Amino acid sequence: MTLQTLVDGLVLGGLFSLSAVGFSLLFGVLGVVNLAHGAFVLIGGYAAWTLLDRFGIDPLLALPLIMLGMFCLGYAFQRTVIQWATKRASLLASMLLTFGFALMIRNALVLIYSPDFKSVTPAYAFDSLSFGEVTVGLTRVAALVVSVVLLALLAAMLRYTSLGRTIRATAQQEQAAALCGVNIRHVFALTAGVSAAFAGAAGVAIGLVMPFSPPDETLWTINAFVVVTLGGIGSPAGALVGGLILGVINTATAQLVGAAFPNAMMFLLLVLMLVVRPAGLLGNSFKGSR
Amino acid sequence: MKLFVSGRQAWVSIGVTLAGTLLFALLPLLLSPYGVRVGQLFVLAAGLAVAWTVLGGFSGYWSFGNAAFVGTGAFTAALLQLALPGWPAGSAFMVALVAAMLLNGLLALAIAWPILRLRGIYFAIAMLGVSQVCFELVSNIDSLRGALGVNLMDIVPRGVRPERFYYWALLLATLVIVLVAIAVRHSKLGYGLLAIREDEDTARMLGVPTTRYKMIAFVISAMLTAMMGVIYAHNLGYITANSVYRGDFNLNVIVYSLLGGMGTIIGPIIGAGIMTYVTQVLLGDLLDTHMFITGLLIAVLVLAAPNGLYGIYDNYRLRMRRRKQETQR
Amino acid sequence: MTAQSILSVQGVSRSFRGLKAVNEVSFEVPRGSICSLIGPNGAGKSTFFNLVTGYFAPDTGTITFEGRDITGFSPVQVAHLGVARAFQIAKPFPGMSVTENVRIGALFGRTGPRDVAAVTAQAMELAGLAELHDREARELTVGQLRRLEVARALAARPSLLLADEPCAGLNPTETAEMVTILRRIRDAGATIVLVEHDMPAVMEVSDTVLVLEAGCLIAQGKPEEIARDPRVIAAYLGTDE
Repeated sequence: MTLQTLVDGLVLGGLFSLSAVGFSLLFGVLGVVNLAHGAFVLIGGYAAWTLLDRFGIDPLLALPLIMLGMFCLGYAFQRTVIQWATKRASLLASMLLTFGFALMIRNALVLIYSPDFKSVTPAYAFDSLSFGEVTVGLTRVAALVVSVVLLALLAAMLRYTSLGRTIRATAQQEQAAALCGVNIRHVFALTAGVSAAFAGAAGVAIGLVMPFSPPDETLWTINAFVVVTLGGIGSPAGALVGGLILGVINTATAQLVGAAFPNAMMFLLLVLMLVVRPAGLLGNSFKGSR
Repeated sequence: MKLFVSGRQAWVSIGVTLAGTLLFALLPLLLSPYGVRVGQLFVLAAGLAVAWTVLGGFSGYWSFGNAAFVGTGAFTAALLQLALPGWPAGSAFMVALVAAMLLNGLLALAIAWPILRLRGIYFAIAMLGVSQVCFELVSNIDSLRGALGVNLMDIVPRGVRPERFYYWALLLATLVIVLVAIAVRHSKLGYGLLAIREDEDTARMLGVPTTRYKMIAFVISAMLTAMMGVIYAHNLGYITANSVYRGDFNLNVIVYSLLGGMGTIIGPIIGAGIMTYVTQVLLGDLLDTHMFITGLLIAVLVLAAPNGLYGIYDNYRLRMRRRKQETQR
Repeated sequence: MTAQSILSVQGVSRSFRGLKAVNEVSFEVPRGSICSLIGPNGAGKSTFFNLVTGYFAPDTGTITFEGRDITGFSPVQVAHLGVARAFQIAKPFPGMSVTENVRIGALFGRTGPRDVAAVTAQAMELAGLAELHDREARELTVGQLRRLEVARALAARPSLLLADEPCAGLNPTETAEMVTILRRIRDAGATIVLVEHDMPAVMEVSDTVLVLEAGCLIAQGKPEEIARDPRVIAAYLGTDE
């Protein structure tokens, strides 16, 4: 494995981490497996593509705007749909519900944007930085920086702000938090909003690095699940660890075994990990698993 | 040793099943070839859904990856026939069928040990992973010909219309699946599985051998699903990894049960009937928005009737009985 | 272990994170008796049940059932030997009818497959549930649920029934019913170990009483002796020191 492979793997891993952290947060705090998460990621990607293509807005400038929009979407999604489902049916049923939404979003994206691949290519897309023998495209650098900065911000938010403390408290003791005057529904919806905002940001970063098409949503959802399983549920640190490992394994497999095998290897890893240590390397930061 | 724990119910169900199958067997004589093809889709869906129910419905362990067994069954049969050129069609089919069922039973046994220890959501996703691994391996390993595709033998007897033949073949397989499901449901195994679904720890405390029972149900479910896969593959005539490891198989089997009634045997059959009718007949022309409508249906279903049609009936029954007790008082 | 005792506990201890939940406890339960285990909250009663049913393994000591060392057996193994447990928080399967609940107890207990129907009916009769046979568990009242819990445990034909606070949260009428049921079960040949906080019920139904405090066995004897024992009174009421 060359240094170049390692660097490519880390860039990819950053994207995996960012795309998984929202999924992980929602899973950890609400216990909801959002199978529409990958679709949310793609919405972010398509939004960045539209803003650049139609209005010439640089994706990095559009990032806060997209995150804000996705936050509202996530908040509304939780307040209306998921809340209703978890109240009336089982968690498994709510998982199926999000699957239904994933299908709808995928279909809508095909109808709006066609099933073809799109990529977000700002003017600097073809520039690159060289460090010795390793060359990294500028957009890849941007994607990695966005991933790491946003993950750090989320970690700080969860740790130091009162919203973060409320989210963590609610995740650990829902009823106790409610007794302390926390509006659980609001906190859950805020969590879902943050989750969707980070999905959208991941979509922007992914769009900078690789082409995407509507059917990719499944892949990004499963990626998120694998990352969570590897790293641990609910924490940005877990998402970072899981994502980076997955990224490196992905590029290494492509190089050493064959270009067609990263996905198979990833799922194999998922199954193995579930068997050996279902709580992930860093464990569940909120509650016990199983 | 008595065959069934709840014998009377079991024999009634078996009687209804046989009568229903007889009625359905006569349908092709009345329908157009197009109608028979829609009928095939319904029978296939019902069979797969009931096979899924043996584990998912009874024990509450929802597999999100049963397409693994459809696909692996289909490819086992296809590759075996490729390796046995010159055999007469009938015996080649039977050998392939038996081999596919055995192999999938073994596959299920091998993956059951690690992943059936996982609960709920983890098991569901692990199975999704298993089906993806199978798909990727068959697609990417050249000798398995998943990308290239394989032809299967023509097993339709002379003088029978192919669409009718496959309708009957799928119906026969579905009959077998439903009978097995009834037998499981009313046996000791079935009661153990229901106890696991209700509360696994309590079940274990009462002496239910939970691990063994889950594994048995999983293996049965996998073998029945593989049987459907083999017949489906012959019906297609030519298969690729994409055409048998279908993601919608993973999802639909669950949707049928949710719609009709989770944990029952009649539920998934009714669910399969309704969904096939809606998607093939009512929405047959709307291919562009097919996925959107399926997704919307799932969403509405989970939100409006989380326990399916059977749940609505069940609530009605309970309410009626309560009212009767109150008037007696 | 004496010939007429069905359960024998010798020097059993179990700690959780350094806290001794059960500490060097030894006693014998005579066959065909009702033996009550009492003590303040946190005295180790539930832990003791979990040790006997194989949910936890003891750190030290041996547990002998019907002359057989069952220390470290799994819950399924213990259940198959004829130890059944009725939970404090009744855990019937909510989506099933009363009959189906009891039938599962019979199916996986020590009943021959031919006798399942008869044993199920008998257990429901003993627990006074015959009239409710087609009711679903989720429709029952707390008292009925508790009786269902006992009936399901009974259907396994246990030689030893561990009943975890069967009277908790019941009104006086329901408690009286439960006492009658427990007696009937003993008279049908089973041995019962009871954990209970309802002292009148304990005094009425028990043949022997064991008192645990902070994991240690501090007294054992007939109900009337225990009621007079100064250590027991101190454990419950505190001492003026």
